[in-house]
Amino acid sequence: MSAILWFCGVATAVAAPTADGTLMIGKPSEPDTLDPHVAQSNNSLTITCKTYETLVKFAVVNGHATADVVPGLAQSWAVDPSGEVWDFTLAPGHRFSDGRPVDAAAVKFSFDRLMRIAKGPNEDFPAIGAVEALDQRTVRFRLTYPFAPFLQSLANCGGDVVDPAVMAFAVNDDFAQGYLATHSLGSGPYQIVHVEKGAEIVLEPNPYFPGPPPRIRRVVIKIIAEASVRRLELEKGDLDLIEEVSPDQIDVLRKKPDIVVIDEPCFREDLLFINSQRPPFDNVLVRQALSFAIDYQGIVDFVLLGKAKQMRGFIPEGFAGYDEAAPQFHYDPKKAQALLAQAGLRHLTIGFLYAKADPTWQTVGLIVQQNLADIGVKLELHEYSYTTMRDMIDRGDFDIAIGNYAPDFNDPSQYLNYWVDSRLFGLAGNRAFYKNPEVDAMIRRALSEKDPAARQTLYQRAQRIAVEAAPYILLSQKHYEAAMRSNVHGFVFNPLLLQVFNFEDMWKSPSPN
Amino acid sequence: MSLLQILCRRLLLAIMVVFGVVVVTFIVSHLIPGDPARLMAGEHASAQTVQHMQHVLGLDRPLPEQFAIYVGRLVRGDLGLSIRTQRPVSEDIRHFFPATIELSLAALLFALAFGLFLGVVAAVYKDTWIDQLARVISIVGISMPAFWLGLLLLELFYNWLGLLPGTGRLQEGLAAPPAVTGMFTVDALLAGEWGTLRSALEHLALPTFTLGFVILGIIMRQIRSAMIEVLQEDYIRTARAGGLSPTRIILGHALRNALIPSVTMLGLTFGDLLYGAVLTETIFAWPGMGNYVVESISSLDFPSIMGFAVVASLAYVLINLAVDLSYLVLDPQIREIG
Amino acid sequence: MAHAQWRNTRYRLSRSPVTVLGLAIVALVVLVMLLAPLLAPYDPDRLHLAVRLAAPSRHHWFGTDEVGRDLLSRVIWGSRSSVTAGIITVAISMSLGTLIGAFSGFAAGWFDTAIMRVMDVLLAFPSFILAMALAAALGPSLINAIVPIAIVRTPYYVRLARGQTLSLRNRGYVQAARSFGSSPWHIVRRHILPNSLAPIVVQATLDIGLAILTVSALSFIGLGAQQPTAEWGAMVASGREYFLDQWWYPTFPGLAILVTASGFNLFGDGLRELLDPRLRGR
Repeated sequence: MSAILWFCGVATAVAAPTADGTLMIGKPSEPDTLDPHVAQSNNSLTITCKTYETLVKFAVVNGHATADVVPGLAQSWAVDPSGEVWDFTLAPGHRFSDGRPVDAAAVKFSFDRLMRIAKGPNEDFPAIGAVEALDQRTVRFRLTYPFAPFLQSLANCGGDVVDPAVMAFAVNDDFAQGYLATHSLGSGPYQIVHVEKGAEIVLEPNPYFPGPPPRIRRVVIKIIAEASVRRLELEKGDLDLIEEVSPDQIDVLRKKPDIVVIDEPCFREDLLFINSQRPPFDNVLVRQALSFAIDYQGIVDFVLLGKAKQMRGFIPEGFAGYDEAAPQFHYDPKKAQALLAQAGLRHLTIGFLYAKADPTWQTVGLIVQQNLADIGVKLELHEYSYTTMRDMIDRGDFDIAIGNYAPDFNDPSQYLNYWVDSRLFGLAGNRAFYKNPEVDAMIRRALSEKDPAARQTLYQRAQRIAVEAAPYILLSQKHYEAAMRSNVHGFVFNPLLLQVFNFEDMWKSPSPN
Repeated sequence: MSLLQILCRRLLLAIMVVFGVVVVTFIVSHLIPGDPARLMAGEHASAQTVQHMQHVLGLDRPLPEQFAIYVGRLVRGDLGLSIRTQRPVSEDIRHFFPATIELSLAALLFALAFGLFLGVVAAVYKDTWIDQLARVISIVGISMPAFWLGLLLLELFYNWLGLLPGTGRLQEGLAAPPAVTGMFTVDALLAGEWGTLRSALEHLALPTFTLGFVILGIIMRQIRSAMIEVLQEDYIRTARAGGLSPTRIILGHALRNALIPSVTMLGLTFGDLLYGAVLTETIFAWPGMGNYVVESISSLDFPSIMGFAVVASLAYVLINLAVDLSYLVLDPQIREIG
Repeated sequence: MAHAQWRNTRYRLSRSPVTVLGLAIVALVVLVMLLAPLLAPYDPDRLHLAVRLAAPSRHHWFGTDEVGRDLLSRVIWGSRSSVTAGIITVAISMSLGTLIGAFSGFAAGWFDTAIMRVMDVLLAFPSFILAMALAAALGPSLINAIVPIAIVRTPYYVRLARGQTLSLRNRGYVQAARSFGSSPWHIVRRHILPNSLAPIVVQATLDIGLAILTVSALSFIGLGAQQPTAEWGAMVASGREYFLDQWWYPTFPGLAILVTASGFNLFGDGLRELLDPRLRGR
């Protein structure tokens, strides 16, 4: 009998409410890897951006993140007149979570590793030729051409610096990818202390990070696939923050007194790729007809519930190179029909490729299906797994496909040198298989153009031509949505770092009970 | 026929069945669309890398040779690499299996307890309103979409009443008990960690009820029909005529004899448990095989799906074999038929 | 004799109201299925974006989904997808299984043994797992969900039919037919099959309920019917994220699955009691 009482008593003592130094996060799916040189999706960035650091980082001004770049691991830098040689001087005091200092050799190791592994994050650094450690604290990057946005590119998480000691865990030439998939060895404010596959990831502060210890002393990321359940736990207080909240849920949660909603415009865009090499889509009239047939505002209003804006041009509003005078298609079914007739096509059957990766894609597909039915075009929806869909896009095995895009750093090249370069057909960037030699010449020149004004003109002209040719149907620039309990403070949203939360600056005020 | 002869025959049969399972899973794996080599090599791979991957996976060899390789790998426990996680599938399965076993056993116990009770009651009071009610309960259990029940229970017990916790297996902050079986309840009990045991049980409650409710219906029906059959038997009538109290008859004789044919059904229930686990685990974020398979399906990660199918099928075969053998031991009549 | 049997049957049915309920449900569902175009108030695929996620009201008895499609119409039309899928599945496995089983039992010898071993292998698979693996391999679609389930259920019918055949093949009239030189096919068709039907029909009725559940479950995890097909399991899957605020969305299709499967199961259960002499009770 006393054993039972003791049992209950012990259990009560152990069942303490969430300590105010622990942040509980609900994520819908497990990041596939936590290795910053391999991770392709933002889902991993939640962790890698906090366990590692980059040479430069995005500035926070008055509580708002900007796209400007300020010192990170590097305290100063210089570039030579040719634009091809960059020297960085490292700031003292940064250490990896095993205590080793972040020195030039570590930076060299990191970038060499990134380039050798070559699984995607390296593509943000197309111009790096060689990296040298000139001395303990100076690193030299030799570029193969004067890549204009080089400094900007170093702020993105592909440029995370990894501790060379990680090679002790390398297995069979994998450069320790297996180890870093579930562990961290970086200099960021936090380190990974526990990973339970498919269930949770736990972070704790890096004891060697300079400055006072953060107020959030434990970050627990729980993987909960069911959206309704994530929300229940947030409302109950067992979770402090949840990701991937649908626009419908945002409106409901906004009204709840103990919940704060994050609903900010970001640079994420939804768009349709038209396979411009495949007849009849190689005819610009057909592509333009399709572009006039879509009810853009309907999608914004009813799928995204007003938490979006129709795109104007490829480059989103607020981003470098945004052109508010760029051409924009609007919903005009009559014009669409006229253009189709002009192209000599009365009836058309098109396949629409999508996956369940994004819950809104299916809905968008249904709306587009109805829109096109109204102009006499039959749209067939084909759903595949995300991997198969990407494979089909890469091979050009589709009519129209849907996708989304988010840039890594604030430069027009992130759009114009990927979306319309005929050398990058397929997943590499040009998913509409669009080819225009004039545009090609302009964007390639712009990449190494040192005069900012000339660069801007080149990109602007290239964008206008390309948009007019309608290889992409530009749907919407979206918001980023998440929800937190109202006692969580200090979060700064950065549209360039989606799914990244600045744990080191956040704190929780005591909850009422 | 002697017991040994029967045993040998059954074993032989089981081996043939296992071989059949392997053949079928091999055939199914080759129906899969898309190029597995390409998927494994990743989207940034060059044509050379893809070719190399094809060679490594043995896809450029003739089909019979591929089958031999496949069997060889299976015997060594190599189920391939998951495309999604880039980890060996066998490792993933080994990691997630205990959680599912824990949930399945708990659900089975729950279903047995209530299923037995309801089945006996329904059989004894056959054709009365009690019987009708029990039948409705069992059929509703079988036909209910698991996710619905799960979400309803969460809403009720977790949100409204606050009596039970939400997702996961343990309360946040509690470390898992030292791993012996991988089942937190058993391990906590063995280690004497009462706080952990209580938390594990609390977290187990709702998923168990959700999964168990489905199995309950199946067990109840089986017990009911077995009991009804037995209650007709002459020796029962004789016992009644002889003046033995009804309760003694029911519990003493009838139930024991009804249970024996029901043992076979237990083995078959394992299949339903797996099926139920696939649907239940996602709702409660229970990190078991079911959750894993659903994730694999949504990314069409075929090595994982096929690995799971092989392991699940083999386990099913083994369990049914064990059940068959125990049935032989329990029921003398069968031995004579062989 | 038939008349007495019918009276007898009616009497027993009346003692089991639950079975009658099952029959009533089955009849209702079949009726809805056949009359779908007349009963559904709206086109199930038409989007009415302005009234998305509307609560049940006069205009939309079951409410609407996230693109404004009327849920009542989709549930009504969904009966066609779900129930037809269930019936086709069972029809395939029943006919295939019965034929194979009858021939196997009749022919006996090595042919019989070989068939039974193959059936053993199929039965060794936990059926849902095999159905899932096959459906995943073949690609997600309603048809690709039907085929695996049918294959997986076939062995049950093979066993049933074979068992019946074995007990019938030594009857007088069968022996007579054989001595007359009738072909095996003829004997099976005219003598064996008609007399084995009862337990097979019972199994089939129960299986329709199971098939509907399995098809829905496969659609629920993404392997069955795809958009924009109205299918109950797929609707529950689409609706689950809206469960907390728009309870009607996953609930009505879920209820449809529950009621329909229950109906078939209750009726099949009751049928089995009626026809199985051992379960007739005191």
